Amino acid sequence: MKKGFITLHVNGDAHEVLVSSQHTLLDVLRGKLKLMGTKEGCTTGSCGVCTVNNGRGEAVLSCLTPALEWADQSITTIEGLEKNGRLAPIQQAFVEYHAVQCGFCTPGVIMSAQAVLNLTPAPTEEDINDGLAGVICRCTGHIKVKEAIRHVGEFGPTP
Amino acid sequence: MLLPEHDFVKPATLAEGLAVLRDAPGDVRLLGGGTDVVFNMRCRLLTPDTLLSLKDLPELQGIAVLPDGSLQLGAACRLTDLVAATVLTERYPALVKAFRAVASRHVRNLATLGGNLCLDTRCWFTNQTKEWRDAKGPCLKTGKDVCHAIAGAPVCVALNNADSPPALIALEATVTLASSRGERRLGLQDFYREDGIRHTVLEPDEILTRVTIPPTTDRLVFLKETARQGMDFSYGAIAVRADGSGATASRLRIVLGSLTTAPRLLAGAAERLAVLGLGDDGLDAACATLRDELGPLTNLYSPAAYKRELARILLRKAVLELREMQA
Amino acid sequence: MSKPEDLSVIGRRQPRLDGFEKVSGRSVFTDDIVLPGMLHGRILRSPHARARIIRIDVSKARALPGVKAVVSNVDAPDMLFSEKQPLLAKGFVHYVGEEVAAVAATDPLIAEAALDLIEVEYEVLPAVTSLRRAQQLDAPQLHEWAAGNVALTHEKDFGDPDAAFAASDLVITDEFRSPVQHNTLAELHVALADFTNPDKLHVWTPTQGAPMYQMALAKAFGLETSQVRIVYGNVGGAFTGRGRAKPHHFIAALLSRVAGKPVKIKATGDEEFIMFRGSGETQYRFRTGVTRDGKIRALEADVTFDAGAHAEWAMILWLPAPYLNWLYKVDAVRYRGRFVYTSTVPKGSHHGGIFGRLSAGWMQHLNHVAEELGMDPAEFHRKNAIDPGHHALDGSDFASCGLKECIDRVVERSGWKAKYGKLPPYRGIGIGIGAQASGGKNAANDTSAAMIRVADDGVVTLYTGIPDMGQGSHTVMAMITAEVLGVEPEDIRIVGGDSDITPFDWGAFSQRGTFTTGNAVKLAAEDARAQLAGIVGPLLGVAATDLKFAHRRVWVRGETPDATGRSFSFREAIGKAFNGVQGLAIMGRGSFNSPRPSGSLAYSFGAQVAEVEVDPESGAVKVIKVTAAHDLGRALNPLAVEGQLDGQVFSGMSQVLYEECRMDGGQILNPSRLEYKLPRTYELPEVEYILVETIDPYGPFGAKEVGEGPIVVTMAAVANAVANAVGEMLPQIPMTPWRLLRVIRHRRNHGLAPAD
Repeated sequence: MKKGFITLHVNGDAHEVLVSSQHTLLDVLRGKLKLMGTKEGCTTGSCGVCTVNNGRGEAVLSCLTPALEWADQSITTIEGLEKNGRLAPIQQAFVEYHAVQCGFCTPGVIMSAQAVLNLTPAPTEEDINDGLAGVICRCTGHIKVKEAIRHVGEFGPTP
Repeated sequence: MLLPEHDFVKPATLAEGLAVLRDAPGDVRLLGGGTDVVFNMRCRLLTPDTLLSLKDLPELQGIAVLPDGSLQLGAACRLTDLVAATVLTERYPALVKAFRAVASRHVRNLATLGGNLCLDTRCWFTNQTKEWRDAKGPCLKTGKDVCHAIAGAPVCVALNNADSPPALIALEATVTLASSRGERRLGLQDFYREDGIRHTVLEPDEILTRVTIPPTTDRLVFLKETARQGMDFSYGAIAVRADGSGATASRLRIVLGSLTTAPRLLAGAAERLAVLGLGDDGLDAACATLRDELGPLTNLYSPAAYKRELARILLRKAVLELREMQA
Repeated sequence: MSKPEDLSVIGRRQPRLDGFEKVSGRSVFTDDIVLPGMLHGRILRSPHARARIIRIDVSKARALPGVKAVVSNVDAPDMLFSEKQPLLAKGFVHYVGEEVAAVAATDPLIAEAALDLIEVEYEVLPAVTSLRRAQQLDAPQLHEWAAGNVALTHEKDFGDPDAAFAASDLVITDEFRSPVQHNTLAELHVALADFTNPDKLHVWTPTQGAPMYQMALAKAFGLETSQVRIVYGNVGGAFTGRGRAKPHHFIAALLSRVAGKPVKIKATGDEEFIMFRGSGETQYRFRTGVTRDGKIRALEADVTFDAGAHAEWAMILWLPAPYLNWLYKVDAVRYRGRFVYTSTVPKGSHHGGIFGRLSAGWMQHLNHVAEELGMDPAEFHRKNAIDPGHHALDGSDFASCGLKECIDRVVERSGWKAKYGKLPPYRGIGIGIGAQASGGKNAANDTSAAMIRVADDGVVTLYTGIPDMGQGSHTVMAMITAEVLGVEPEDIRIVGGDSDITPFDWGAFSQRGTFTTGNAVKLAAEDARAQLAGIVGPLLGVAATDLKFAHRRVWVRGETPDATGRSFSFREAIGKAFNGVQGLAIMGRGSFNSPRPSGSLAYSFGAQVAEVEVDPESGAVKVIKVTAAHDLGRALNPLAVEGQLDGQVFSGMSQVLYEECRMDGGQILNPSRLEYKLPRTYELPEVEYILVETIDPYGPFGAKEVGEGPIVVTMAAVANAVANAVGEMLPQIPMTPWRLLRVIRHRRNHGLAPAD
């Protein structure tokens, strides 16, 4: 099809959206659903700022995947991490550890970090390096980003 | 920038997909995870009339051990799933290392085995935006009789930068290609061509459906040299497989990746090592064959002189590592 | 000035106040803004490095449905982008990517299609696409006014260099080169312009400072500065890459004026690597004269900068001369600099300004000098390092200076003495030092201003124009305000990022944020406090100056801030002022400008030691550890300071080892975040921070800059560590595997290094 309605489950809500074959998942999240938390960066898969989580909680690049592939699939974006008005532990840790500077890549970095924690709740150094190698952050040099992930990995969600 | 206009088709079965491939007018492109195809579509390097999504085809899924001990991998298996498969991590750790060497976890969560095997060749005069290419002028791949990488080259010398082929070729893996005409199976080394434009033997009506790895107890080493460890195409990669143990081996397969247009099987070096052993004499003799076996190299992404050096470095490192391994 | 024990907020590890917004996806960046009726702009760029434009025909593009504006030079024939540079190419193009025409359309795809319909006919002319070629005798002359393609030269001597070299026992010369480098900011270049009202131009864009953008756009469009409004709420990194407005800002405004609709232009595809104004190729020749016992007599640097097609960033030509005399007690300094035209995009600077790349070469050269003398480089630097109170040859004064302490502490913490000269082959250790001005005045002023409003409910609002590009300035300004008013940082609301609202501030250039804006904010807060004290003092029966403000309370100095003493809560105090007889609405104002005629009031200093391992087989480098000491006066927010150090260590090692735009005929071969290499998670070294607090007399609470000083030193330390590992100075950055292998092979073949 060149254009058609698909249902996307984003952050727990079902959205029926008219999607063209020219749209990537990123175009739909930002352009159609106005979920502006997910950022548009290089659009060629190298910078990672467009990272969202798929239904398995894995990090995927929304800029590199046609929107039509996502019919009936579940997606979590940065806006979907808060629960009951509270930041997710990884978000809180990013604030406390100063893992955020300019903040442009932050949604993508946090969704990458969340994916690491989804798959490996107590991640090793290798898990963190591998899980974050897909994003780039000149501001922090990833140093405090890794500290924040280690913290959540060691201490789990703060009650 | 949005993708070029096209018809997106997601067939329910392989037969349906093959029929589309046979009947759809114009240029039909196969889509695995999309990480290569979408990238190239953004650059307007690919402007297909139809994009045929293979990711969810049932016939292309699964990891199975066949009765003869062979391992069969569906072409639509995601690299992430291959990296996590116990049957692979236990029996083929070096192959898993090769799958894991691909880009980043973000990419591997989308990318498929078939997609990595069919990864288009890359050239920094070609894999650019349309405006960039227009400024430079077209090349063999984009419509003119000119090669910007090697002046006067008669065929496109773009590089095969895929990480998984060298290890699979070393393991004598075969690929199964299906079409509405039937099925054929060939060794992965014969799948690739020394032509950056038609870089595989896949016919326009064919789909790569699965990869079969014959059983083996041989040693296998995979190494990849990159600028940075994560999210990078390699400057050069190598897979070396050998029987025997320690410095003794009678049968070796050595495959270099990323230095040339097709993964390069080094028969001469393998033969020297089989005859002279994996000791320093064998290594020196094997390295001495590299210049002839590699032939002319490009300056694409790294200088040709470095590529030549890298082939030697990779071979040495791989053989040293192999020597430390038990069969 | 307050003593440390008096401070209740300053020095605290304060998480950033906009953290919640940034981690939750609520922060709005320019591309997130969609205005009603907004059009999408695209730019048609030159495909040639140098050509004459014979004909431009936009009629087909204009006729395409959905296209609302098409502009080329005929629509703005006299509009200049820089001194001799038309905004849209006029008659000639001078580099690949130069702006030739532009369109605005209702849809990005229509805009893209319209670009294809613009017909431009060129006559290609011989181009000069490298700095080396530009200087050859037979090179084509690119501009009629520039013989030999030299745009500008600058010569500066301090002291008598000839005499100082003549008096030296040893004179050493080294050469060095640095490449084209790109800032690779997280947020790609983007501008949204609304010029639908001809009396007011609104531009939403990330920037390092609004005034330069306002002035440039106002001049181009015949407006007063205040008729241009720059909105820059969140800025996705700058790294020296957002100093001035770029052509796309002007083009978005022009398209908006023509179309009568807001127009957004954002970098698509590789445009990010065409719009940039990062570092150009640079050639250096360093010469140093020393005595036998290791005293530096004379320093000389000869630097040739690639200006690109236009001398947009000529100001960088002046910067090396003073820098050369900030670190060492020397008799004389000589600087010769030139800015050379090439047929490439105009160049400016990358993260670290010109100082980082210069240091990667200069510090290798100075270590070479030390080694020729048989001296430990750390001792050599220390022996010649300046002390507090030093008066430099260029007139700079250094009221505070922790350079020697920085050297001593990194030497100690890194285990330098046990390692230097004693590491196994291909392990290396290197030291570098550096200095950085905290703001600086050239011609006009270096002013920052701030306003503080205290509402009747006790909420404090700080109005500041300093952009927060990630460095954490807004949080630090809130801390300064809170410290002075005796409240908590969380009590301060910040209004920033809108030139219509905030008082004048040049912005985040030349490391002036903490120092200059910090002083302005401190003055504004003190003004507000004095107003409040003037009311509260008499009510508590003391003079206004006898009050203490802290912990959200106001009390009589010497008493206790509870029921036993004379005190009010901050909110009660505000109520007294507002609801009292005077009905005083408290508004504090502060404006700060260095009283010096030129230069800076304060300089930071740093020393770092890097340890690396080079794989002699593959030429790959692993940075193991960086020990970084920085004299920043006072760490107002140590948490943010560490963040600054992390980023600069990362970016510094990245520039020395990885980053390079690889050029081919004026085109960048690797215009992507994939192929323009930066390291990522796996490559990070361990970083040890040493904060040296010298409490500068002019800095707010004694603080100096920490925003660029460290990266300059990292680049020196990493370069020296690699040189130490392979055994000789590396003449070029980045130190890629193939460049290192060439040196290692050469040394092995000549018996200078261990064999395989």
